[in-house]
Amino acid sequence: MSWSIDEWFVIALARTIRPAETVFHGFGSPCAQVAMHVARRTHAPDMTLIEGAMYAVNPDPPFIPPTSNDASLSRGAAYSMRFEEFFDAAIRGDVDRMFLSGGQIDAYGSTNVTAIGPPGRPRVKLGGGGGGCNLSATIRALTVWTTRHRPGRTLVGECDFITDMGHRTRLGTRAELGFTGGGPQWLVTELGVFDYPDGRARLAQIFPDVSLAEIRAATGFELRVAGDLRQVPPPSTAELAAVRSVDRLRVSAQEFSARELDRVFERESSQNCAC
Amino acid sequence: MSLQPPRDKRASLADVVALVGDGAIVALGGGLCARLPMAMVRELVRQGRRDLHLVGSAHSVDVDMLVASGAVRRIEESYVGFEQDLGLAPAYRRAAEEGTVEVAESCCATILAQLRASEMGLPFLPVRGVRGSDIAGMHPEYAEISCPFTGETLVAVPALRPDVALLHAPVGDRYGNLHLEQPYVLDERFASASRLVVATVDEVVSTDEVVAAGVTIPAHLVAAVAEVPYGAHPSSCYPRYAYDRAHLREYLTASQEGADGLEKYLASYVGETEVSYRGAVGEDRLAELTTWSRSTSAWQELFA
Repeated sequence: MSWSIDEWFVIALARTIRPAETVFHGFGSPCAQVAMHVARRTHAPDMTLIEGAMYAVNPDPPFIPPTSNDASLSRGAAYSMRFEEFFDAAIRGDVDRMFLSGGQIDAYGSTNVTAIGPPGRPRVKLGGGGGGCNLSATIRALTVWTTRHRPGRTLVGECDFITDMGHRTRLGTRAELGFTGGGPQWLVTELGVFDYPDGRARLAQIFPDVSLAEIRAATGFELRVAGDLRQVPPPSTAELAAVRSVDRLRVSAQEFSARELDRVFERESSQNCAC
Repeated sequence: MSLQPPRDKRASLADVVALVGDGAIVALGGGLCARLPMAMVRELVRQGRRDLHLVGSAHSVDVDMLVASGAVRRIEESYVGFEQDLGLAPAYRRAAEEGTVEVAESCCATILAQLRASEMGLPFLPVRGVRGSDIAGMHPEYAEISCPFTGETLVAVPALRPDVALLHAPVGDRYGNLHLEQPYVLDERFASASRLVVATVDEVVSTDEVVAAGVTIPAHLVAAVAEVPYGAHPSSCYPRYAYDRAHLREYLTASQEGADGLEKYLASYVGETEVSYRGAVGEDRLAELTTWSRSTSAWQELFA
């Protein structure tokens, strides 16, 4: 049995979902979207899955299309929330987990999806945060993720602009800001998995074809490493089957650079395939 | 403004869009690449509208095309782009980087609260979050307040009353009753929060047919309606047609090229009328987008 990094990454995201949680992904993030369906088909069949831009509750889409506002994504759902029903639920504290990404992510899990460079005259204007600057305050737990850790520009010492709030921003901690949600719980990248034991990212798991030195070189904030650093546990047969049947068009692979997609693994050694 | 009286509100696309003045605060219905009021967007470009202030949630080709044609002064959307698939919105990005439009990026739930305040006739509503985010710094109109009951600090956001909401629906009747498929995004909120609501529909049908499908936006909120087949193209309008990913790619290539590319796109497609637009896209291509319902494989094919 062999698998590629995009499949393993999605499975690592799926494992951050706990049974019976109510979970939401933002638009334009098929890795998180596929991960939610994988979790629902494997270890969290009793989760409540709210589908990105459709707000459909527990749908069974025939495939994942390249846009998150498409009718295919509400197939099989008995009910779709209105836009305001979802946001009300999230802000009053009824949504347990959301996936968030960013062009920049700092050690506290704050993210920038607004602009690189000075905000008044940005070097790169990014798309924008959607609902993140409200939701990151109130959703119980956040799974932060990026597929662009390796080039070294994503995990930064300081975000040029904070769109979505992590454990701390320039104005203070979550407690000082009065947020009701718990903030980032996991940061999953194509190189490893971080937790936040004291509100700062700490490397807890590493993919087997990556070295600590590579991760340190790619990380703009001080790299802290868990004493019991482990390899990311390999996918189970059921997890891999779920990824492949959910993401038939392999839309989630769009989020990886071509170089990363060459990373293929196999069961025996969990090392790079030598073939 | 009182509610719209019951009368035949059918009008030409040109007359409907003439109700949008230069400098207006314009709410764009739909979201991402779904049910965008594209026929009205193209007509705004044809009529050379200027200085618009766009408000909404997550949008794409509608905002980019208006920015590209120089129709926009200020943008207050939560997102403008083409997701992971086709990436950043080229004209929006360029205008923001060069400072030729004002970008006051906002957040979905904040805009929702601002529209609800307007619907309720209130001057503001409090929201959670926002504090600690640099989004707040783009909005000097926000204020922090203390809850008089708990002392909790919240962010007060002022009522948002768009001058005009542009909505597209698959079907509606001559009076302006509109049926939409989910997600409605902010269309219902725009309809009651805005000073004026105008709509295009792919097809005008009988009131009985709209009632049977379900009235999402009632006639008493709608001032004018124009029938424009494929009026949301290249975005989707279910249950009629899926989005036209190939056309969006073509638009994006043109928008990335800058002024020359856009001029060519506008000349080739936007042209003089929607009839010429549909001719340029091709009736065969448009018909193909309706084949999504035949089978899962036919549906998947449209996204290849």
